[in-house]
Amino acid sequence: MAGHPDAAALVAAVRDFLGGLKLDGRDAFHAKVAGNVLAIVERELVARPDAAAAAALAPIVPDDGKEEEDVPSLRTQICTALRDGSLGPATPGLLDALVAANLAALAVDNPRYSTFLRRAAAAPQR
Amino acid sequence: MHGTDDADSGTGDAARLGALLSRAVRAAVAVESVTALSGGASSATFAVDAARDGAPWPLIFQRGEGSVGMPKRVQAELQRIAGGHGVPVAPVVAIASPGDGLGDGFVMARVDGETLAPRWLRGDDFAAARAAMTAQCGTALARIHAIPLAAVAGLALTGGTAREQCAALFALYRGFGVDEPAFDLAFAWVAARLGDHPARVVCHGDFRSGNLIVDAVGLAAVLDWELAHLGDHHADLGWLCVNAWRFGQWQHPVGGFGDRAALYAAYEAAGGAAVDPRQAHVWEVYGTLRWGMSCLQLADDHLSGRVRSVERAAIGRRVSEVAADLLWLLEYGSI
Repeated sequence: MAGHPDAAALVAAVRDFLGGLKLDGRDAFHAKVAGNVLAIVERELVARPDAAAAAALAPIVPDDGKEEEDVPSLRTQICTALRDGSLGPATPGLLDALVAANLAALAVDNPRYSTFLRRAAAAPQR
Repeated sequence: MHGTDDADSGTGDAARLGALLSRAVRAAVAVESVTALSGGASSATFAVDAARDGAPWPLIFQRGEGSVGMPKRVQAELQRIAGGHGVPVAPVVAIASPGDGLGDGFVMARVDGETLAPRWLRGDDFAAARAAMTAQCGTALARIHAIPLAAVAGLALTGGTAREQCAALFALYRGFGVDEPAFDLAFAWVAARLGDHPARVVCHGDFRSGNLIVDAVGLAAVLDWELAHLGDHHADLGWLCVNAWRFGQWQHPVGGFGDRAALYAAYEAAGGAAVDPRQAHVWEVYGTLRWGMSCLQLADDHLSGRVRSVERAAIGRRVSEVAADLLWLLEYGSI
């Protein structure tokens, strides 16, 4: 709707404001960090990384009859299985699923991170 | 000196530091200014501009601000011992006693050079330093690990078998109540590969690019000894290679400036024990987990309200970087 800035537009406005402040020392550093945080929020509003993570993790979780589980629940179930040894480094498909979920998170958290860029470059071969 | 905005306290500290220093070097020392450089949850660092017999004498004063971790006076003693065994350190000038009114602190020389790793890892001015750093770090680590255990017997350093250390790190992880599958997967992988032989050497515990002073010709001083402990010699070698300390220079596995084989060769040439590259790799994965626990700790400081900070909140999102590195390490064997 024209004249009605959405959440992403509001966050972008605050990020621009922070970027224009004239600050020194620790304040300047924290303003830069705050701007980076708002950029994460902007990316998360657009990307909805939880949907991609849920799709990647669901096949790994032992079927408990429930449908449409959220990401925290899936992660808890996978961690519990890793702790009791029913899943482990040798489990087929586990590493690929965790990589896919991680890439969805990193695309929001820090898409300039070196390992993210290397994964993205290697993606066609996977 | 809890904040330099407190003028009376700052003036008082300057006088107390002057008295401590005069006694330590048996000369007339006047402290002209005390400037806060950085403060953490556990310690604070100050630049001290003093005059010794009238000549400028730049110093650093470091003081513990909490009851957590190694007391500063123990850190100072270890730094002094390491210097005596050929490790480049800032010479310790004086260690405060309870009667000095300065808290748990010590004064050391202010060593010239760069402490901000991104600057010396990238700057053209430091090209020669970077070329020399791998061999210098290998030598410094060999000398640290050669410190006789008898020399540090009075410092009560913590220690344990590798498996015990890993179990303690896992307990820390579980204490946060966070479920990050990449962490659990890496813990399972590491736990199956760590030995249970007793701790054998003095480990620095935090030997990484951000804890070194680097000048035009290379390593000038090894800082921050507060995480020193007794452990496995591969622990420090693996920690130096953790991707987070490369500051984007991931093609150079040793701290963003060197190659592993060159580090191991320099370490062995300087008298270090034989390096098993596979075991060093296990410790690099362990070190990556350790950095992950630091991210969780800093995020927890913010979320719990102990230390509200946008910086600590943001570090919580670096967990996904650590997870990416762990998954890459397990899949490809190295970063």
